[in-house]
Amino acid sequence: MAVNVGYAETNAFEQRRAPRWRALRGLARKKVAMIAIAYLIVFYGAGFFAPVVATHDPNRQELTVETVRQGPSADHLFGTDALGRDLFSRVAYAARTTILFTIIVLLTGGVFLGLGLGLLAGYRGGWVDTLIMRVGEVLAGLPTLLLMLAIAAAFRTRINDIAFWLEDNTFLGDDAPTLVKFMIVVGAAVPFAWIGSSRIVRSQVLAIREQEYVLAAEAMGASTWRILVRHLLPGVLPIFMVGLSGGMAAIAGAEVALSWLGLGIDPPGSSFGSLISEAGGVRTFQTFPHLLIASATPVILFFFAWNLLGDTLVDWVEPRTRGR
Amino acid sequence: MGQGLAGYILRRLLWAVPVLFVVSIVVFYMLRLAPGDPVDTLLGQRYDAEVAERLRGKYGYDQPVYIQYVKYMRNVLQGDLGVSTRHQDFSVKEVIVPKIRVSATMGLFALVIVFVLGIPVGVYAALSRGTPVDPLLIGSWLFLDAIPVFVSVIFAQWLFALKLEWVNLGYEGVFHKNIILPVLLISLPGVAGVARLMRASVIQVIGEDYIRTARAKGLRERTVIISHLARNAMLPMVTVIGLTLPGIFAGSLFIELFFGIPGIGRESLDAVRAPDFDVVLALVLFGSTLFVVANVVIDVVYGFIDPRIRVGATRGG
Repeated sequence: MAVNVGYAETNAFEQRRAPRWRALRGLARKKVAMIAIAYLIVFYGAGFFAPVVATHDPNRQELTVETVRQGPSADHLFGTDALGRDLFSRVAYAARTTILFTIIVLLTGGVFLGLGLGLLAGYRGGWVDTLIMRVGEVLAGLPTLLLMLAIAAAFRTRINDIAFWLEDNTFLGDDAPTLVKFMIVVGAAVPFAWIGSSRIVRSQVLAIREQEYVLAAEAMGASTWRILVRHLLPGVLPIFMVGLSGGMAAIAGAEVALSWLGLGIDPPGSSFGSLISEAGGVRTFQTFPHLLIASATPVILFFFAWNLLGDTLVDWVEPRTRGR
Repeated sequence: MGQGLAGYILRRLLWAVPVLFVVSIVVFYMLRLAPGDPVDTLLGQRYDAEVAERLRGKYGYDQPVYIQYVKYMRNVLQGDLGVSTRHQDFSVKEVIVPKIRVSATMGLFALVIVFVLGIPVGVYAALSRGTPVDPLLIGSWLFLDAIPVFVSVIFAQWLFALKLEWVNLGYEGVFHKNIILPVLLISLPGVAGVARLMRASVIQVIGEDYIRTARAKGLRERTVIISHLARNAMLPMVTVIGLTLPGIFAGSLFIELFFGIPGIGRESLDAVRAPDFDVVLALVLFGSTLFVVANVVIDVVYGFIDPRIRVGATRGG
């Protein structure tokens, strides 16, 4: 309701404004959002089709003086790392880790917990609402990275047992250890990934649950499930997605940070975190800048694209702060 | 307001207690149930079953986990945080208090810088709303926000220490000029968040009657912006301090590694890896309690400085 009023005001207001700035600004905004989306598509595409995109086997080492730490060339687009592995291919596989991670955390932490708990809290109210929101409030105030560190470190020590079991008893084979490490990072991130989105969803539910069509559905005896899914969910989805897009960089960042610390995905699996940490310190950067630049730039732009998109979308649902 | 405020603080703190207990139980069980304990790390190559048995007995690791937990909590509530196995049985307090002092000082510097930079950026962006300056300004800070500190630190070290030779990278105490670079690196990613919220806040205030009144009185634009617009728009920013803290903590963890700063970020990483049970627990509990209390204090302060906010009515419940 409030959102609609806001839009009407904005539109009336915009018509009275000099169109020059508005057009420029609108263009800048839209262009920025379009570029961000385009980059994200490329990134997700490269990650999804990593086996096709990669020009070399990301794990094949070539340990000769000429083949390690080569600068970019036609054969090795991003150059090679300290073990002579093709950096471009490793980056493509790292993008694959990032997209898998963001999608899984999104589905579990974002959609299942964030949307689910938000709907529940907003619609049920009472002690359910209080419990969910207060727990979220306290969780949001905790030193997240420290807790993620503790979770990841505690479970990492037992990965060998699980990984060997999986290797022997499932079709996973050599991928098993990476998968287990992956799941640990997911497990460390999910407890903190639902808070923001559930808060947004709840407040939106509170705003629309008193509307006539919801009351009408209730009066006609629709089940709680039906009201949630058919009547509340569609109204909540747009703002939920805005909230998610704002949190994507933080979610992906958690995996990169944990992997950088050696508590996430490590070789032979590819992750931007381990790529960046392998790129070495300041002395290595001085001599071989391409190692850090090639492994960090793609993921920095990925975070940046999500930040920009989130920023643009927030303006879109919150017209009062929109540039007019 | 007094009654409502007291009730509100009490309610917030009462909710924090069970959650902190759950956090402590979860972390405690995770640490104890994972294979490999401090004794393994202590003995390392010289592992000897008999010595290990004796050490486990000494630290109480041979008892059931719930008994260990109850004993641990009883000690904690009496102010005894246990001993650090990684630091030859120094008490946890002796190990972490000096490090907390270092990190807290740095964190405070960083917090100040985040706001000193973020607030003017937000005001300026809001005032240039409708021009390309606004998205460019916010966009460039969002870009800085997108760079992980462990990448920006390498670039900064290269640029300022090797190329320009302005600074050296040694740690010489928190009040030495060498601390400027690490503190800046911790604070820069947080500026975008503060700037965006400040921008939104200014845009809300800009339409208020008292701004129009101030302009109509013929006050200089400078005065209107500083004393009327920015001052009022800054009030809600108090609550943002709480949101900024986790980022500063995370940033300092990485930065402390790079600059050899003896703070808790580094200690927590080493303690988690060792593992050093009591230090990890102490840091988790200390950090969590601190953040929870800080957020409650911030909300209360906000209620005082902005009497329009009736805590009981709008934020409690």
